[in-house]
Amino acid sequence: MSVVAFERKQDSGEWSEKELSTLVAALGAAMAPGTGREWETGITEKGDVQFYLLGPLPEQACELCVSRVDGRYILEDGVGRLLFAHRNLELVGLHAKAAVPSTSWLMVRAITLWCAIRSTIHEKAEPWLVEGEELLVQFVPQLAAFA
Amino acid sequence: MKRVKHQDVFTERPSAKTAPDAKQLRKLAGDWLKLRRADAELSQADLAARLGLKYYTFISQVENGFSRVPTEIMGAWARELGLEQAAFARHLLMYYEPELYRLLFGAESK
Repeated sequence: MSVVAFERKQDSGEWSEKELSTLVAALGAAMAPGTGREWETGITEKGDVQFYLLGPLPEQACELCVSRVDGRYILEDGVGRLLFAHRNLELVGLHAKAAVPSTSWLMVRAITLWCAIRSTIHEKAEPWLVEGEELLVQFVPQLAAFA
Repeated sequence: MKRVKHQDVFTERPSAKTAPDAKQLRKLAGDWLKLRRADAELSQADLAARLGLKYYTFISQVENGFSRVPTEIMGAWARELGLEQAAFARHLLMYYEPELYRLLFGAESK
C-alpha cells in the first residue's frame, strides 16, 4: 500500500517558512531596494499571526496586513479596510500585490527627470519663440502692404 | 463594561528623555489602547464586533503599533472603551501627531 503525503495546511501557530516566502515573493516588487518598504510580523491576543507591509521612513506605517485566522488569510489595508480573505495564500498574495500603491520609485524618478527636461527646454526655447513671434508681428503688416 | 476615571487614564505621557520616532509613538499609543480595552473588559474580538468590523485583526494591527485608530471610527472606539471622545482623540493626537499636539495644547499640557 502506498501512502500519498498531503501537505498539511497551517491553521495556527507561527508563520511557516513557506508562508513567509510566499508573501515576501508576492510583495517582492513592492519591497524592492529604494522603495523603503519593509515587513514585520506580529501576533494578536488570540495568537493569530500577522504580516505587516510597512511604508517608508519616517512613518513606517502599515500599508497592508495579512493575518491568519482559523486557516483563513485576511488581507486588510492600513486603515482596517478588508480587501480580501481566502484559504489560499497564493491568491491572497496576488491580491496583496495588486493592492500595493503602484507608483514605483523608478517611475517617480523617471517622471521627475522628464519634468526637469521639459522645464529646461521650455525655459531655453521660450525666448526664441517670443522673439520669433515679435518679428512676425512686426513684418506681417509690411509684407501685407507690399502684396 | 467597567468604567474608569478619565483623569487617571489620560495622564500617561510619552517619555520626554528622547524624542521617539513615529513607529515608537504608535507602539506607545497601542499599549495605551490595550490597557484601556482591558479596563473596559473587552477582548479584541469584542471591540471589533462593537465597531462593526468583520475581523478583529485590525484591532491587533493598531494595538501592536503598526496603524493608527482611523479618525472616522475614533469616536466609536472611545465610546466602546467608555471614554470621553474629545479626551480620547486628544490623547491619541499626542502620540500620532506630537508636533501638532504641542502646538495646540503645549502650554496647558505642561
